[in-house]
Amino acid sequence: MTEGELQQERAIIERSRKDPRAFGELYERYFERIFNFIYRQTDDEELAGDLCSQTFINALNGLSRFEFRGVPFSAWLYKIASNEVNKHYRKSKGKQIFSLEEVRVKELIESSDLTWDEEQVQQLLQFMKDLPTDMLQVLELRFFEDKDFREIAFILDITESGAKMRTYRALDKLRRNFNIKVKYDESK
Amino acid sequence: MSRNDIRLRRQRLSGSGSHRFRNYGDVLERHERDMKIKKIVKVFTYFAIILIVVMLIIIVTRTGERLDDDHKGTTSRMEKVFHKRT
Repeated sequence: MTEGELQQERAIIERSRKDPRAFGELYERYFERIFNFIYRQTDDEELAGDLCSQTFINALNGLSRFEFRGVPFSAWLYKIASNEVNKHYRKSKGKQIFSLEEVRVKELIESSDLTWDEEQVQQLLQFMKDLPTDMLQVLELRFFEDKDFREIAFILDITESGAKMRTYRALDKLRRNFNIKVKYDESK
Repeated sequence: MSRNDIRLRRQRLSGSGSHRFRNYGDVLERHERDMKIKKIVKVFTYFAIILIVVMLIIIVTRTGERLDDDHKGTTSRMEKVFHKRT
């Protein structure tokens, strides 16, 4: 996101503090991304819809407390959405779901040999099931939401180095267990 | 037992699924309702604080007055005893 776009968002937020109707622009801009982010962690459209609405209501209610910290406004929305999802799983006491798109998984993974079969996919899924939830959250934000480490740190309330460490540890495990590498731009 | 439930979806996520949940009017309405409730709770809290402070003042004043009366009563009794002796 460019500096100009950040300033534009800032102006909308300032207007929204006086007139909540102005927030509609940000709602329209980010609704789909936040909905998909929640849907990936619930695999339930109705629930994702409810949690998504609650995310925007919480954002609107707490707009006066929002402070600019050099990350896009969407990072704050992701943070609220992530808290809403965690709250839901604490209440329901169920296992956290991660619903991943097969195409995206295959796109991200650079197999050492060129054969990519169903068995390999199933082994990978089994491996991911046993990863700690916080590690999966970092991986999801990094590879499915394309967030940089600064934003991930802000969303999950951890340090930037903590976010990097969690990602590298998970990727290292993948490399050691499956001899596969994940494609991503390290400079981001 | 595994910690998470990983599901693999064959289709990509599309925007069409989220359309029926997109309703800013509803979000705005619920926000206004929340703000009203927040305002009522705020007013009620201030009212409760003021009430508690007033009650404390009354209790402290009355206790002070009672102590004063007791003190006066004791003094006058002592004075009577003193006068009788003299």
